[in-house]
Amino acid sequence: MTALSYSYYPGCSLHASASEYDLSTREVFASLGIGLEEIPDWICCGATPAHNVDELLSLSLSAKNLELAEQVPGDMAVACASCFSRLKFAQHILGENETKRKLVEKAIDAPVHLERRVKHLLEILVRDYGLEQLATAVKKPLSGLTVACYYGCLLTRPTDVPNLDCTEAPTIMEQVMEAVGAQTVPWTHRLECCGANFTLSRPPVVQQLSNAVLESAKTAGADCIVVACPLCHGNLDIRQKEIEGVYETSYGLPIFYLTQLVGLALGVPQERLGLDALIVSPQKLFRDKKIN
Amino acid sequence: MSRIGVFICHCGENISRTVDVEQVAAQAALMPGVAFAVDYKYMCSDPGQNLVKNAITEHRLTHVVVAACSPRMHERTFRKAVEQAGLNPFLCEMANIREHCSWVHEDREEATDKAIEIVGMLVERVKKNRVLPTITVPVTKRALVIGGGIAGIQAALDIADAGHQVVLVEREPSIGGHMAQLSETFPTLDCSQCIMTPKMVDVANHPNITLHTYSEIEQVDGYIGNFQITVRKKARSVDEHKCTGCGVCMTKCPQKKIPNSFDCNLGTRTAIYVPFPQAVPNVPVIDRENCTMFKSGKCGVCQKACGPGAVDFEQQDQLIVEPVGAIVVSTGFELYRITEKTKGSPIKGYGEFGHGKIPDVIDGMTFERLASASGPTGGKIQRPSDGKEPKQVVFIQCVGSRSREKGISYCSKVCCMYTAKHTMLYHHKVHDGQAYVFFMDARVPGKSYDEFWRRAIEDEEAVYIRGMVSRLYQKGDKIVVMGSDISVGVQVEIEADLVVLATAVQPQKGADLLAQKLGISYDKYNFYSEAHAKLRPVECATAGIYLAGACQGPKDIPDTVSQASAAAAKVMTLFAKDKLEREPIVARVKESGCVGCFACKKVCAYGAIEEKEIRDRQGNLVKVVAYVNPGVCAGCGTCQATCPSKSVELDGYTDEQIVAMIEAL
Repeated sequence: MTALSYSYYPGCSLHASASEYDLSTREVFASLGIGLEEIPDWICCGATPAHNVDELLSLSLSAKNLELAEQVPGDMAVACASCFSRLKFAQHILGENETKRKLVEKAIDAPVHLERRVKHLLEILVRDYGLEQLATAVKKPLSGLTVACYYGCLLTRPTDVPNLDCTEAPTIMEQVMEAVGAQTVPWTHRLECCGANFTLSRPPVVQQLSNAVLESAKTAGADCIVVACPLCHGNLDIRQKEIEGVYETSYGLPIFYLTQLVGLALGVPQERLGLDALIVSPQKLFRDKKIN
Repeated sequence: MSRIGVFICHCGENISRTVDVEQVAAQAALMPGVAFAVDYKYMCSDPGQNLVKNAITEHRLTHVVVAACSPRMHERTFRKAVEQAGLNPFLCEMANIREHCSWVHEDREEATDKAIEIVGMLVERVKKNRVLPTITVPVTKRALVIGGGIAGIQAALDIADAGHQVVLVEREPSIGGHMAQLSETFPTLDCSQCIMTPKMVDVANHPNITLHTYSEIEQVDGYIGNFQITVRKKARSVDEHKCTGCGVCMTKCPQKKIPNSFDCNLGTRTAIYVPFPQAVPNVPVIDRENCTMFKSGKCGVCQKACGPGAVDFEQQDQLIVEPVGAIVVSTGFELYRITEKTKGSPIKGYGEFGHGKIPDVIDGMTFERLASASGPTGGKIQRPSDGKEPKQVVFIQCVGSRSREKGISYCSKVCCMYTAKHTMLYHHKVHDGQAYVFFMDARVPGKSYDEFWRRAIEDEEAVYIRGMVSRLYQKGDKIVVMGSDISVGVQVEIEADLVVLATAVQPQKGADLLAQKLGISYDKYNFYSEAHAKLRPVECATAGIYLAGACQGPKDIPDTVSQASAAAAKVMTLFAKDKLEREPIVARVKESGCVGCFACKKVCAYGAIEEKEIRDRQGNLVKVVAYVNPGVCAGCGTCQATCPSKSVELDGYTDEQIVAMIEAL
């Protein structure tokens, strides 16, 4: 088997608020021997604001990124759920609608490239690298750690666009967590919305929705929540203290990026996974579960 | 010298909208061999057919080409008309300028050119048509009905009452099907058992009906009027002739905890069992997978208890051959099991509803058993988890149906009505309970149906919420139903005690395999296809096979019974004649060229090719050649395409004719 290698689209969050997601992704790929080369001069995917305001702008930003990706060989690896969603949407819409494709080609002044496979990290770990191989690469299994895998709204939806897993009952993240030795719990709010962008404009909405997510994970007996989206992470981690205040409760649930936990299991030292950037500190949990 | 008449139909506007029919007629008139060409608005109507007949006499026509719709639609119509005017019907051909031309093209000029070419090809082909005599075959006046639900029972009784023999084959140990499981039926709320069981008894007692239960179709040979059916009668382990139906064996059986599938696994049964007390025949069967005797060789309690000595552990499957002339397929439906997801299937399942994990999330049929007087709770509404009476029940419609995303786009047709019925039955039994229904649309067209549905809302206080449910989850002993109410644009959360899912109606498992044995077609969901959606709704495209009930598409009881009687009437029409006329479009072997390789025999899907010995005058064997049995040949032409020495030809489609058609292009 030739070594796996990907062109890497980190997206803006991973260069800023979610730098620990970027850091841990690079560490995981390096320790698994998977190549990861950042696409030079990549631009923002436009995220939620762009497609809410101007579809052409949103499609053109993703088309531009797909064009830039032509510089680096390999399928495109994406970590952020929102970037992943936008790129997949662009491929889906531009593949079906010739009129829009022509408009976009005019906007980016280049042909639209739709052939490149855009893959989320989960797909790469499960389908390309393989769960069995991942399990054998584990040096420090996360045994004893009970995790709630949180998909949020974007990772699997809508049907027929991301094609990552079953839309309403996915298991792909649980498969990865179990392969690295963690226990997963069935819980009710795996696919509910955290409030997303309303974190800036209407925080009470986010408090209510994220509270439901935290409450459900806690009730299900999880020690922590694993996410694959910087925005979910922000709402559940940064706002957790505030939510506990508003709803007069206490969760104390560390919120991890999936690559942070996979990295730990692969034996990457804690300080190289950006764990110190988490607001809800995982240190007590690590001590209790004898994870270092 | 041919004198061909060409008749171009407008098909109302279906053809003339895109094809310049006058131009086609003008061009056809110039084709070599054509003596007359004309266009008309509706060629299949009475004046249209008269136009054809009169032209044959007036212009002394020798052949006819009708340029209109598909031959599947009206070939028979025009051949009959031609015959009435004194021509051999097989000197008439149809040029399909509707399905193959006007319906699929937009450019009028190009479509007209294409129509002219199609007509030209058929003119060349018809010139070389031979006069063919109609083939007659004998009819076995005995019918096979596959499936003993209400559809099969009705069809069997109708045919038997008309004086013909019927063989009824049922896969389960008893006839009755799903209707025997129902509590009360819409729109009149009469008890299903009370209207169903007498019919079951009629079947058992009818002198013209041979009943094979616990049996399956093994093999189907032959053709219309002359089928040979091999039925596998599975080993019941109980001698049907000796058993008196006393039931002592069942009371003695030590295996008492087997989930009873007739009760949707709510209740239990023994290893030797009848599925329900009113079963027909009232003869138990041993479930060999769960029987201690078959598993460990030690037990035999039932055999010792059986007075007449009917229990027979040594019984083997039996193969019975039944000659029949017609087949009614009425294999019915099953409910979509939303938790079971088969790999590679486009049907995606509903993991988010927790069916199969949360005990109080049940499907519609399970609710029927809960509400049924003969059910495991004696008709009391008790939820499966703890037997408590549910005070808040949420019914969810369209689970699986009408969702392209989830893989089934059709409407299951019966759920709107049975859910309305469920809310009423619930309200009648739990006066202080509240029923909620999540629905997309109420589809209740049918006699007294809308009134029934409105009664559920207006008199029986069911709360209908227009919207879908996204998720169900257990919270304590409640089930949280997360849904939306789109008429007011809000999200709804209900904490329910019981949730009932109106899951989609699907064909029975294995419906595709049976279709392959019968040689009938089915759609992507495995529903059997009728020959024509509007004009031949109970016939299969395969001659002599008819459809009844939900195996053809979701159907309620009134529709099923109507279709079953219609299928029976079709069978009686077939049996009304002693001989059956068949189309003589069959293959013929040129014996001089045949080398006896029998490549044709290997490819023939109908088993129509036989071996024939050619002898000289002294009786010495000269050679063995292929022979096509015209009674069996379906005229598919596979043998013609296969024959290496070009010694088989299909009448109407000879190589000479095909080449002539190509040259006309």
